Amino acid sequence: LRRQRAEVSVELRKAKKDEQLLKRRNISIHVEEKNPFLGQDRAAEIIQPSLEEILEAVNGEDTQLQLLATQATRRLLSKHKDAPINQIIELGIIPRLVEFLGRADNAALQFEAAWALTNIASGTSEHTRAVVEGGAIPALISLLSSPHMHISEQSVWALGNIAGDGPIYRDALIARDVIPSLLALVSPATPVGVLRNITWTLSNLCRNKNPCPPMDAVEKILPVLVILLQHEDESVISDSCWAVSYLTDGCNDRIQVVVETGILPRLVALMDSPDLIIMTPALRAVGNVVTGTDQQTQEAIDAGVLTVLPRLLRHSKSAIQKEAAWTLSNIAAGPSHQIQQIITCGLLPPLVELLDKGDFKAQKEAVWVVANFTTGAAVHQVVELVRSGVLKPLLNLLLVKDSKTILIILDTISNLFLAAEKLGKTEKLCLLVEELDGLEKIEDLQNHENDMVYRAALDIIEKYFSGEENINLEPQTGQDGLYDFSVEKQDFNF
Amino acid sequence: MELSDANLQTLTEYLKKTLDPDPAIRRPAEKFLESVEGSQNYPLLLLTLLEKSQENVIKVCASVTFKNYIKRNWRIVEDEPNKICESDRIAIKANIVPLMLSSPEQIQKQLSDAISIIGREDFPQKWPDLLTEMVNRFQSGDFHVINGVLRTAHSLFKRYRHEFKSNELWTEIKLVLDAFALPLTNLFKATIELCSTHANDASALKVLFSSLILIAKLFYSLNFQDLPEFFEDNMETWMTNFHSLLTLDNKLLQTDDEEEAGLLELLKSQICDNAALYAQKYDEEFQPYLPRFVTAIWNLLVTTGQEVKYDLLVSNAIQFLASVCERPHYKHLFEDQNTLTSICEKVIVPNMEFRAADEEAFEDNSEEYIRRDLEGSDIDTRRRAACDLVRGLCKFFEGPVTGIFSGYVNSMLQEYAKNPSVNWKHKDAAIYLVTSLASKAQTQKHGITQANELVNLTEFFVNHIQPDLKSATVNEFPVLKADGIKYIMIFRNQVPKEQLLVSIPLLINHLQAESIVVHTYAAHALERLFTMRGTNNATLITAAEMAPFVEVLLTNLFKALTLPGSSENEYIMKGKCLRIFSLLQESIIPYIPSVIAQLTQKLLAVSKNPSKPHFNHYMFESICLSIRITCKANPEAVGSFEEALFLVFTEILQNDVQEFIPYVFQVMSLLLEMHKNEIPSSYMALFPHLLQPVLWERTGNIPPLVRLLQAYLERGASTIASAAADKIPGLLGVFQKLIASKANDHQGFYLLNSIIEHMPPESVDQYRKQIFILLFQRLQNSKTTKFIKSFLVFINLYCVRYGALALQEIFDSIQPKMFGMVLEKIIIPEIQKVSGQVEKKICAVGITKILTECPPMMDTEYTKLWIPLLQALIGLFELPEDDTIPDEEHFIDIEDTPGYQTAFSQLAFAGKKEHDPVGQMVNNPRIHLAQSLHKLSTACPGRVLSMLSTSLNAEALQYLQGYLQAASVSLL
Repeated sequence: LRRQRAEVSVELRKAKKDEQLLKRRNISIHVEEKNPFLGQDRAAEIIQPSLEEILEAVNGEDTQLQLLATQATRRLLSKHKDAPINQIIELGIIPRLVEFLGRADNAALQFEAAWALTNIASGTSEHTRAVVEGGAIPALISLLSSPHMHISEQSVWALGNIAGDGPIYRDALIARDVIPSLLALVSPATPVGVLRNITWTLSNLCRNKNPCPPMDAVEKILPVLVILLQHEDESVISDSCWAVSYLTDGCNDRIQVVVETGILPRLVALMDSPDLIIMTPALRAVGNVVTGTDQQTQEAIDAGVLTVLPRLLRHSKSAIQKEAAWTLSNIAAGPSHQIQQIITCGLLPPLVELLDKGDFKAQKEAVWVVANFTTGAAVHQVVELVRSGVLKPLLNLLLVKDSKTILIILDTISNLFLAAEKLGKTEKLCLLVEELDGLEKIEDLQNHENDMVYRAALDIIEKYFSGEENINLEPQTGQDGLYDFSVEKQDFNF
Repeated sequence: MELSDANLQTLTEYLKKTLDPDPAIRRPAEKFLESVEGSQNYPLLLLTLLEKSQENVIKVCASVTFKNYIKRNWRIVEDEPNKICESDRIAIKANIVPLMLSSPEQIQKQLSDAISIIGREDFPQKWPDLLTEMVNRFQSGDFHVINGVLRTAHSLFKRYRHEFKSNELWTEIKLVLDAFALPLTNLFKATIELCSTHANDASALKVLFSSLILIAKLFYSLNFQDLPEFFEDNMETWMTNFHSLLTLDNKLLQTDDEEEAGLLELLKSQICDNAALYAQKYDEEFQPYLPRFVTAIWNLLVTTGQEVKYDLLVSNAIQFLASVCERPHYKHLFEDQNTLTSICEKVIVPNMEFRAADEEAFEDNSEEYIRRDLEGSDIDTRRRAACDLVRGLCKFFEGPVTGIFSGYVNSMLQEYAKNPSVNWKHKDAAIYLVTSLASKAQTQKHGITQANELVNLTEFFVNHIQPDLKSATVNEFPVLKADGIKYIMIFRNQVPKEQLLVSIPLLINHLQAESIVVHTYAAHALERLFTMRGTNNATLITAAEMAPFVEVLLTNLFKALTLPGSSENEYIMKGKCLRIFSLLQESIIPYIPSVIAQLTQKLLAVSKNPSKPHFNHYMFESICLSIRITCKANPEAVGSFEEALFLVFTEILQNDVQEFIPYVFQVMSLLLEMHKNEIPSSYMALFPHLLQPVLWERTGNIPPLVRLLQAYLERGASTIASAAADKIPGLLGVFQKLIASKANDHQGFYLLNSIIEHMPPESVDQYRKQIFILLFQRLQNSKTTKFIKSFLVFINLYCVRYGALALQEIFDSIQPKMFGMVLEKIIIPEIQKVSGQVEKKICAVGITKILTECPPMMDTEYTKLWIPLLQALIGLFELPEDDTIPDEEHFIDIEDTPGYQTAFSQLAFAGKKEHDPVGQMVNNPRIHLAQSLHKLSTACPGRVLSMLSTSLNAEALQYLQGYLQAASVSLL
């Protein structure tokens, strides 16, 4: 059973901490020094005009005041804490800021407006909507080809925030042909800072499901991602990996286009990176690939994923262990020759360790590995698994506080018994289960509140630890009080 | 039914009658209520009564009736009529919460249950305002009401602890969290504040603490599936308060009861559970709080007394520490030498002490004591928890912990030495400490398998254990004696052999101890020592080494069975029979007559009321072993055993002592098989009784009865054919009964194989066709691998006995072309499944006969199956052999209890030897095949060779040539 990433769409938890940022505010302070368009009068920066004054200046005709007011707005929006995004939106100046984006004659004003809009769009969905409904998309896209590098960079950023909002705005941007202009900015000469922003925005264009980004857009972006993945800058690599991880988080056709680029060996190499911000998304991307077909999974295996996973299963961060185990669980769901490679690559010892000592989330995934393994493996492979000591920690986990995991373990135990039956070793397994205190635990589970758990436990007990059944050939009792030996003939066809 | 006073009155009367002890009054009243419960307003009448009735018993009775009514009827089952009318449903939901909250506790509980049943069906979609209604009551300030709400919420939400994750469930939990989490948190804070304002008001505190317990339980339910965002954000509030509650104490909440846990203990226990939940599932988020909990919990342990009422709290708390201390990232919390010392000194040592309650159990409830101490059913005890903590700590701190404890052990031993009769408990604790420190892994079979290298076990044994056991007074300090014997038992693989040999007479001596625990342990320890293996898999302790002790050992064992409380002591019986007899073999023969006499006495006494299954089992094993050992040297002795035993056996069979009947059959089989001549008439008289259906309905009887009937057939087939021919249908009826069951069909085949092998052919002639029809039916309707394997063995045995032509003729007489169908669909594709040396050999010889002695195989349409069948046979030869256990080992290496099938307890020492029906006829089946083919080819020259060369595959041909060469024959 291959399991896609998200099983339940309702979440009780906080948004995950290891996710890439959806939206980012530009709060950099050093930019001002580098900005050649700012006036010399630095005192003006310190005197912060009131919102009313800003409104008046923005709506007025004095270009200098417009610039100062826009700058003041941007400064407010760049505050570290409690940026007054709502108040700025309520002022109703967004259409005006959008208008400023078109002032090709006043690069400083264009820049400040783009920055301000970037930070508004970095807020909630409502905030982003205000920017889009103010008409910013076409203006920002045309600024991508601004002769001023810092302006096109700021537009890239703003567009990234819009794309990050969700599939609707993402597709709106794609429909406006944002991709070719964005890709045109990538060249060997592009400064690394700019490249980071572009990569991040590209990753947001790849992001989100329901629906996935259009296939032709993906096909345009992919060749560039392949190049960016070879870059030396870690944050460029990281965001490229994130992009690939989004593209592979979907149906098998989506995975296929990524696999066809031949990028898997590079991704597998990056999985092994000491750098967490690279390893995390690379692992996710490869993990997604192996949710695909047997062939796609085989490509990941050929790229060496199984030689890297042992280290990741033993990684110091439990989130990595968990993700690695999830990945392994999907490989274990494959045909028996792939399972053989799991054994050959020495995955069983770290798997058993994880099952024994891992963090709970990782243990849960490790249980899935074992469950899938026992479903698809040949008998001798199951024997290998048992020999590696899986039974003890597996049985210990029957005490875990999660019904689903318990049920999967019980199913796994049934699988083990099926294999034992084929070998004629049922009694040996019975004994082993008892010795490891498993029987005691399974018997206890017959009192479990959860009906399916209770039935699965009962089933095992009845089948292997007692048992009897009957069919219709039962003899009657004759006059002498003994069984009557008689049977009706029927037609036979085997 | 209208909501009228008259109806209320009627209902009251009937409810009253349902409480009547006389069934003649009670039953009709219950029937009446059932007959009217479908009427509209019935539930509302009950609600009215439970609120307004003048009589309290009617109120309570109405509330119970109401709850049961809801339980039976509320669920709407698809395709079945709605059993409660919609207006009643609405009215119930509108009224039940306030009604529940205003009712006295007894009724409140029933209504609360009813709400949760309704909630399970209707909440949240069809009961959207339930939560708000409940939450609003939090403001009431009335804790009777609040506790009602909390209790109801608890019964509604506790299913979150066991249900599977699903969108539906999580949507519900999210909704509950949105409405409930914040008010619950506020209530939690407010309640805690009230606890400090009312710190001097005992009755207020009781109510408030009941609330806190429920709140802590709700916390557990709401946090079970995953860590909700709200609780992550408010972890500070919850955990800080939980933490301070753990450290709280209030004289007013302490109870005088020594046994029953009070509110404070219950609350703290639940908090330990909550902390354990977070530590297990949300380790990452909980990490900042964990150290504080560790400290608080161990302080709690340090300050909690020895009373039984704290046991659950203490063992929960210690288990929490044990589970935390073995995780690598919390290692540092325990690392400090002072911390370790204080945990060892204040948590572990005190909880290992032998308490008054233990002493009581040791003396008055020794069975329970032994079960806990020896067999590890001590999961919830303090000692066990402390022991687990020691093991947990040793994972990282083996050296320091061993060091700290060594100091303790020494000082405790010194205390003991100063005044043994007062301070013997110190020595007990010292031994327990050494044991738990030294043992790293343990199995029932081998005792300790891994020990802490830092503890010198032999030295401790010689200096502190042996002196106690050498003391002349076996009844002094019984607890220490038991400790010492247990020490030998569990460290038997660590202590050198010469020390074990020194211990043997000491153990034998302690079989006489008055204390049940002590003599039981002694018997058990001896039994364990005798099973130990040395080099070459021989027993570690030899018969020669035991010879000087045999007499005193047997005397003391039988003496122990006469000690008060031990007349059916399984350990003694097991120690005696299995181990000692099997170790000593023929050197025990002189003692057997007296042993058998004593055993029969015991058997007779016990059969009046069999109550100790293990004891009984070992008793029968002893009998079997006595028979075996004696008759091996002197087969004639079988008669004297029959003489001694049959009287008791008859009694057991006549009184239908169900527990013993399977054993009796097994012993009888063993005895019958010892006879070399014709079956004695005493056995024949019993034969018809063995076919009685009532015996075969009991699963436990089947294997031993089949075994016994097989013995009858082996020894007395011709007698049966001549003297009991009318019983043959009954015998075959038993076969039919067994073949009808998937579980027992192999037993049916055992029986059938014996019938075919031993009965004179003419006596079963008329039944043969029927037998095959029956088997074909099973094959057609419900075949299993097990059945097919047995079936294949049987038809080949038949072929060996009656000839291949007879097999073909009988098949084809049942249905035309049947023989070809069975060959093609069953034999050829399935023959490789047959396992077991003898089974394979039977099949090989049978198939060889079909190939070479069955003319239709050469000159009808069956000819096309000739090559495939030969190929299948070669495949059967060339499969890797099963490693079957050599004959002797069946009898030697039996371990422990007979397993889970309480119904059938197989006696290892009544074991049947493997029987090879073709053994004399064919020695090497490969050569037999070659010779048979040679014969066939001589009869029809050229045919065989041409078939082989055109269609047998190359590999098979090569094997075949090998066989021909080995047999030095060639084909023509």
